[in-house]
Amino acid sequence: MYNDKNSKKIVETIQNWARSHSIWVLAYGTGCGAIEISPTMTSRYDAERLGFRGAATPRQADVMLITGYLTVKTVKRVVRVYEQMQSPKYVVGFGSCTINGGMYYDSYNTINLLDRYLPVDVYINGCMPRPEAVLAGLSKLQQIIREGNANGAEKYLENLAWYKENQRKIAPNWIAKAPDLNW
Amino acid sequence: MIAQIKAVFPEAVNKDYDGNRLDLTVNKEAVPSVLLYLKDSMGFRHLSHIAYVDWIEQGEFELVYILWSPLDKVKLYVHTRINRENPVIENIDMIWRQANTYEREIREMLGIEFTGLVAPDEFILEDWDDIPPFRKDFDTLEYVNRTFWHRPGREDAQDVRSTISERSGEEIPDFAKKYSR
Amino acid sequence: MEYILIKVLEAMATFVLAFIVGMTYGGVVRKITGRVHNRLGPPWYQNFIDAFKLFSKTRGIHHGAMHFLGAAFLMVTSVVSLMIIPILAPGGHAWYNSWFTNLNFNGDLIFLIYIMTFGPLGMAMGAGQTGNPNSSIGVTRGLSQMVGFEIPWVMALVALMITYKTTSIVDFMNIQRETGTWLMFANPFAFIAAVLAMLGMFRYSPFDIVGAPTELASGPVSENGGKFLFTMMSSGSVFTFAKLVLYVDLFMGGANNLIMLVVKTFLLYMIPVLYGIVSPRYRTEQAVRWFWGWPTFIGLLAILYAVMF
Repeated sequence: MYNDKNSKKIVETIQNWARSHSIWVLAYGTGCGAIEISPTMTSRYDAERLGFRGAATPRQADVMLITGYLTVKTVKRVVRVYEQMQSPKYVVGFGSCTINGGMYYDSYNTINLLDRYLPVDVYINGCMPRPEAVLAGLSKLQQIIREGNANGAEKYLENLAWYKENQRKIAPNWIAKAPDLNW
Repeated sequence: MIAQIKAVFPEAVNKDYDGNRLDLTVNKEAVPSVLLYLKDSMGFRHLSHIAYVDWIEQGEFELVYILWSPLDKVKLYVHTRINRENPVIENIDMIWRQANTYEREIREMLGIEFTGLVAPDEFILEDWDDIPPFRKDFDTLEYVNRTFWHRPGREDAQDVRSTISERSGEEIPDFAKKYSR
Repeated sequence: MEYILIKVLEAMATFVLAFIVGMTYGGVVRKITGRVHNRLGPPWYQNFIDAFKLFSKTRGIHHGAMHFLGAAFLMVTSVVSLMIIPILAPGGHAWYNSWFTNLNFNGDLIFLIYIMTFGPLGMAMGAGQTGNPNSSIGVTRGLSQMVGFEIPWVMALVALMITYKTTSIVDFMNIQRETGTWLMFANPFAFIAAVLAMLGMFRYSPFDIVGAPTELASGPVSENGGKFLFTMMSSGSVFTFAKLVLYVDLFMGGANNLIMLVVKTFLLYMIPVLYGIVSPRYRTEQAVRWFWGWPTFIGLLAILYAVMF
C-alpha cells in the first residue's frame, strides 16, 4: 500500500513542486553571457522571488547555466563539474552559441552543438538574452520540472557511451572517467 | 629621441601616425643583441607585444617586437623575417619575462620554434592534432565541418531575418533594415 | 515509566517548535533583506521548500564514514542546547507551559558554554575528511573567529554568575520575575557585551567570512549536498532559535506564553540581521581584533561592576 503506483505519483508530484520552487543556480559563467546573470539575480529583475538562489559549489547546486560558447578546453571542465552535481540536475543553454554555434560557428576551437556533449533541458535564445528573456526561460524550466519531464540526468546515464564518444572525439587525449560520480 | 635612434640605426623609418612611432627592420640573428641594446641603453624598458604576420606568397613569417619607452614616449617596432620552411629563432625570455607567454602563443599558433624556451606544452589548444591554426594554409571551415556538427537545417548559415519576415508577413523595422542583407 | 515517555514527547514537541520557528525566521530574514535591497524577496516559507528539496535529492555523495560526523555533530549540538534551555518559564499561566520547560539543573549555564563549541569541532572533522582545501581553510577561519567572540560572551556570563551567585537559567528567570526589572537594565554592561558577542555567534555580516560563497566556495559546507545540507540547514535554524531563547531568558525576563516568546526573540534577532544587511565583511584577523577590543573592555567593566556592587 505504501509503494504502489498512485502513492508514488503523489509523492513525485509534491517533490517536483518543491524542486521547481527552489532552484539553486551554480555560480559558473563560462562565456559572454555570464554578464546577464547578475542583473537577473539582483535588484531590478529579481529572480529570488521565484526561489532562485546562487549556490557556491556543484555539490549544492541544481541547475548549471551554460552561458555562451564553450571552447574545447572548457568542455572538459564543464563535463567534470556536471558529473559532480547531485541528481536531479538540469542544464540550461543560454544564447545562440549553444544552439547552433552562433557567431563562432566556423571557429576551430568552439563547439557548435551543446546537445551532443551534455543533456540540455531548456535553450534560451538571443545573443545575449535580456534578463526578461532569462526569466521567461527559467519559468519554462520550472514548468517542465512540475510536469515531470526534466530528466536530463537519467538521459545522461542511459546514453553515457554516446556522450562519452562525442566528448572523446573533440578531446582525444582526455581520460574521461566512467561515471565515478564521487570525484 | 628619434634623432638619437636614427643616429644609431640609420635605416629606421619614421611611420608618422602621431609623431612618435618608428619602424626598424633587422636580421633574425641580430634580434637578441639589438633588443638588449635598446632596452639597456636607449630606454625602451617595456615590451608591449610580439605580433606576427604570415606572408605565404613570399614564404616567410614576420615577427614584430613592439617596444615602448615610457620616459620619452616613443614606440619602436622591430621587424624580422623568418623562413617559412624551417622557422627557428632565438628566444628573448631572459630580457623580458613576459616574452615567455607571447612566445608560447606563437609556438602554438604558428609553429615557430624558439630555441631555449622552457615552457609547458599546451597553452590554449588542448589535444590539438592538426597543423598550427593561424597559418594561412589552414582551412578553418573544412576543419569545423570535419570535427563538429552543424544544427540540421542551419548548415548554410544564412541570415534568417529576411526569410522569417517573408514567411510570416511581418515588416522588418527601419533601424534593422540597414543590417540585413 | 510514564513520566519518561511524557518527557520524551515534550522534547519532540520542543524540537518541532524550534524547527518551525527557526526556518520561518530564516525565510522572513530573506524577505527583509530583499526589501532593504529595494526588491521583493522570496516568500516567508521559502526555507521550508529549500529543506524539502534538499531532502528529496535522489543521489547522495559522501566521502567516507567520517563525513557523516560533520552533519551529525552539528545536529547533536543544536538538539542538546535546545534541551537544556527552558523555552517557557515554569509556573507560567498558559496550558501548554509545562511542555516546554526542558531538562535543567544547577550547572547548566557552564554546560551550555561548553556544548556550544562542540558543533564546529565536529564539522571540522567532517570537512577534513572530504579533502577539499576550501573546507579546511573555512574551518580554520571559523574556529579562530569563535576564539574571538567567546571572550566577551564568557565575560558577560561570568559577570552575571558573580552578581547573583547561581548558574541555573531557571534561577535567573525567577530573579527577574521577583525583582520586577529585567537583567537588561540591571546589568547593562553585561547585556551590551553579550549583544556584541551575539553578532559573531550568528555569523551574519560583518563576520560571515566562514561560509561566504564567493570568498571561499562556502567554506566547510562546500562538499555537502542533498541530505547533508538539509541536516546542516535545519540544525542551523534550531541552534539560532536556541541561542535567541537563551538571551531572552537571561536578559529579557523569559516569556510566559509562546506569542510573547516569538515577539521578544524576533525583536532581538533584528539587531544582528539589520546590522548585517548593510555591512561589508571583515577578514578573520580584523574580526578577532575587533572582538578583543571594545567588547572585551565592556565585559571587563561588567565583571568589575559585578564584583564591586
